[in-house]
Amino acid sequence: MLGELVKGLRTTFRYMFRQPVTVQYPEVKRPVRERFRGRHELKRFADGTERCIGCSLCSAACPADAILVVPAENDPDHPRSYGERYAVTYEINMLRCIFCAYCEDACPTNAIVLEHQYELSFYDRRASIFTKEMLLVPEDQGHGEPPPVLKQLEQRPSPPAQMDL
Amino acid sequence: MPDVTITVDGRTFRVPAGTNVVDAARMGGIAIPVFCYHPRMPAVGMCRMCLVQVGMPKLDPATRQPVLDAAGQPVIAMLPKLQTGCTTPVSEGMVINTKTEEVQFAQKGVLEFLLTSHPLDCPVCDKGGECPLQNLTMQWGPGQSRFDYNDKVHFEKPVRLGDLILLDRERCILCSRCVRFQDELADDSVLGFDLRGRNWMIISKSDPPFASKFSGNTTDICPVGALTTADFRFKARVWELHSKPGICTLCPVGCNLTFDMRHDQLMRVMPRENEAVNDIWLCDKGRFGHRFMAHESRLTVPLIRHGDSFAEATWEEALTLVAEKLAAVQSARGGNAIAGLASPRLSNEDLYLFQRLFREQLGSNNLDHHLGSPDDGDHDDLGGLLSVGKGSNLAELGAGTTVLVFGADPEEEAPLYQLRLRAMAKQGATLIVANLRPTHLERSAMLRLRYNVGGELAFARALVRELLQRGGAERLKIKQNGLDALRKQMLALSAEELAATAGVTQAELTAVATALLDAENGIIMYGAEARSAGAVLVETLGAIAALSGKVERANNGLIALLPGGNSRGALDMGVRSDARPGYSLLTQRGIPARQLWHAARDGHVRALWIAGHDPAASLPAAREALAAAEFVVVQELFMTETARLADVILPAASVAERDGTYTNAERRVQRSRTARAPHGQSRPDWQIFQDVAQRLAEMVVVPAQRIAAEAPKAAKGAKGRSEQVSAKVVEPLRWDYLTPADVAAEIAERVPGYAGVTYEALTATGKPGMWGRQVNEAVFYDGTSYENTEGIGIALPSIITDGRTTLSLNPRPAPVVKDERPLILMAQPLAYGGDPLLRGSLLERQIAQPAIVISQSDATKLNIQTGDRVRLVSAVGELSATARVVHDLPAGVVMVPPGLPGLCLGSIQTGPRTRVSLVKVVV
Repeated sequence: MLGELVKGLRTTFRYMFRQPVTVQYPEVKRPVRERFRGRHELKRFADGTERCIGCSLCSAACPADAILVVPAENDPDHPRSYGERYAVTYEINMLRCIFCAYCEDACPTNAIVLEHQYELSFYDRRASIFTKEMLLVPEDQGHGEPPPVLKQLEQRPSPPAQMDL
Repeated sequence: MPDVTITVDGRTFRVPAGTNVVDAARMGGIAIPVFCYHPRMPAVGMCRMCLVQVGMPKLDPATRQPVLDAAGQPVIAMLPKLQTGCTTPVSEGMVINTKTEEVQFAQKGVLEFLLTSHPLDCPVCDKGGECPLQNLTMQWGPGQSRFDYNDKVHFEKPVRLGDLILLDRERCILCSRCVRFQDELADDSVLGFDLRGRNWMIISKSDPPFASKFSGNTTDICPVGALTTADFRFKARVWELHSKPGICTLCPVGCNLTFDMRHDQLMRVMPRENEAVNDIWLCDKGRFGHRFMAHESRLTVPLIRHGDSFAEATWEEALTLVAEKLAAVQSARGGNAIAGLASPRLSNEDLYLFQRLFREQLGSNNLDHHLGSPDDGDHDDLGGLLSVGKGSNLAELGAGTTVLVFGADPEEEAPLYQLRLRAMAKQGATLIVANLRPTHLERSAMLRLRYNVGGELAFARALVRELLQRGGAERLKIKQNGLDALRKQMLALSAEELAATAGVTQAELTAVATALLDAENGIIMYGAEARSAGAVLVETLGAIAALSGKVERANNGLIALLPGGNSRGALDMGVRSDARPGYSLLTQRGIPARQLWHAARDGHVRALWIAGHDPAASLPAAREALAAAEFVVVQELFMTETARLADVILPAASVAERDGTYTNAERRVQRSRTARAPHGQSRPDWQIFQDVAQRLAEMVVVPAQRIAAEAPKAAKGAKGRSEQVSAKVVEPLRWDYLTPADVAAEIAERVPGYAGVTYEALTATGKPGMWGRQVNEAVFYDGTSYENTEGIGIALPSIITDGRTTLSLNPRPAPVVKDERPLILMAQPLAYGGDPLLRGSLLERQIAQPAIVISQSDATKLNIQTGDRVRLVSAVGELSATARVVHDLPAGVVMVPPGLPGLCLGSIQTGPRTRVSLVKVVV
């Protein structure tokens, strides 16, 4: 009986002199893995153009039907994205989202990326809907060059074909 | 045609001779990919996608017999090169290979070339998801392209082909489906090719660009995303849409369509295949003209007048007020002091309950579906009595059919009939068009006749005379009376005189009569112009149909083009002052719409209920009457002029927000379903009628005996038709319908001719459609959904077949005009006229400019040019507006499109045809 008590206390005392495994969560935050799937971000290209072209493939891929995309036509003088189309509304319902990142897989322009932010709690359900303004990264935080398939959409009309008559 | 035996990919089966290889293979369940071929149009073999290997049995040159090999099988001589399946007709013993290496190499090559300059922007393309190019590339295309993005040719995009259609040249594969549709099916040659080689492109040749009423169909049949509508551009992805089956109520054709909804928003309208109505087509009015349902001017809450303004109210308050006021008028002055107008765009259920509410609950016969304008004319009974009948299917008609289009402009009044009649003519039907002025359809007619102004009756009578002389009486199998009187009167007329009055030659009349008599099936279609000549003309047209033996059978009879989507339903449901449902005439008639405004102004009618009509906008008399009335209820979608004069405004649900059935011009009943929740607090019309009736039932003791007595008395021999109304036990009034299906069930039970028309029966689709999202269908012809899974409707038998009704052939005297003014004013029916339902749509820009349309010769006489200000003076008023001089109007006729803002036609009309004089206003 006494032997067991000593055995138990030995474990206790051993751990008293070790580093704790827990962290003081709100004050201390653990780094997440690189491929952690947290809150979404809508990315931009390095030139500040929105990557999202409003194609709704993310919402088609979403198994939880958490994404709403309403597309519109770009103003040719002030395009928001490459090509003719952009998303005028982009909403994700974070209560519905299951963080599977199928949207990320579906996105043809790598516009939507699940990032490392995991602190998602709401006082009411309405607040769980993240709008485009909330999801879009600031203009100066873009990265990468648009792929050729997008770039060619921006190309000016080709010169008329030369015909040997 | 005899069948031939063919072997496709080793499978041997029989197909009709003359079928092309693509269709033949499909009959055996083998798909050959196509882009340019469309079964509704002749093949051109432009896209080369349908290349197949074709072989024929080798023939001995001496005996012309197939050469047999050692095993006794015919030796097959394969053609040295691949053939296009769409342009190759099958022949006996033909062997077709669609899956050999050679064919697959060719298919891959064709697709690789088609994609060389394709922008591959599927994620932003409106066609993405229902695109044949996507589908065929997935199934038949190469996995990779050898072309670099940077080598692609680029064009400016989008190119506007017209107001409604945009062209993306980079996506276009130049299959010419759109060009051929416009040339061959719509007969609007507005599209064409321009330039050559890499710069080859589709252009619009017309001014204004793409001036066609069927332009939207080109986007459906476009096998790529090259043609898209401005209406649906970048609105949604197609897989997000829920297709809700509906019926178009904008004209009497009753096209089947789908409301493609994303959540609660209408994204686009697409045709739904119905061979007997609209095939796979839809006119632009139906496709783009349904934006009204989400327009910001929709009424959302009931409104009650307080002095000069309206205050929002609850339904309970509004309905109770309506019931109280109506009950008060009813008890003080009787049911005759209450009148109601219901629009012919309401469903059968609404109209049936409307007349029940008035006849049974309020004891009033003062109801109508006409606007009460001088333009209305008489109720068109004959179009129901001699309707084309059960089992009719215009799509099956061809050789052996004669169609006489009399005084109608189908392109404007019922656009889809333009395509249907042209398709019939193409299949060999004899199309005869008789009109006062040129119409678009006329170009497709075998025989076009132009009668004099006011000569249409003489024309019709000359035809009757001709038919009588050629033994018309023997062909009369139906119950009729008045044949002898008709014969006497017609034979008393001189054929030469009639022809001279009509302005047609005797030879032409003989040709029309012969065409009608020789044909197995005969249809007479008449429209606004014929109806404006009065009921006597329509009755004469009925006599023509009867005397040529073209009644009582399927595909034979009259088709009346009436305004509104459900005028025929309104007539069938008895929303009129002189008849109960099923055309049983009443002895005790109410006030028809035409006399209503005077009756209301003079205080005979104290309370008015107007559902879906806007008389105040076009009739000064109505505005006066509404202002004078004690109590006015308006049930509407929008805040109309009439609504502004109301005491209570009840917001109604639009066609897409409720279930209902509609009866089209051919008397086909079709069901439309709920596509979205009612706008705001609006409610379906039938429900509003029931809600008020329930409240009234608690307040008013209905003179039940009177109504019970009314039924058996109904119309013995009135207008020459007798009705045996079985003396039914009058059941106590019930107002406990839960769904429109309950109302429809009661209609099926009580309205003659509607037996069996229940919601269950209306769901039947008949034979499976040729089109749509069936297995392998999308990859076959094109990607757009046409499938009709929700019912093709039920064609009602014509009333004359009930065995009780008698056709009156008693001739009526021709109307005599006393007015001496030189010109005849008629309303000009226009598809994009002043229809308030076009609001919010792209078609608003195409609405006609308010103008007085004058013939060239009249204009020359008065020295009037287009743009001059002119004044029309009739016996009752004056109207001034800018003039538009046209070449194709006969002298002596002036036309004004009705319902346009700033052009109040109702203020000068004395009837459907008004005598007017024209004065040039010198500024």
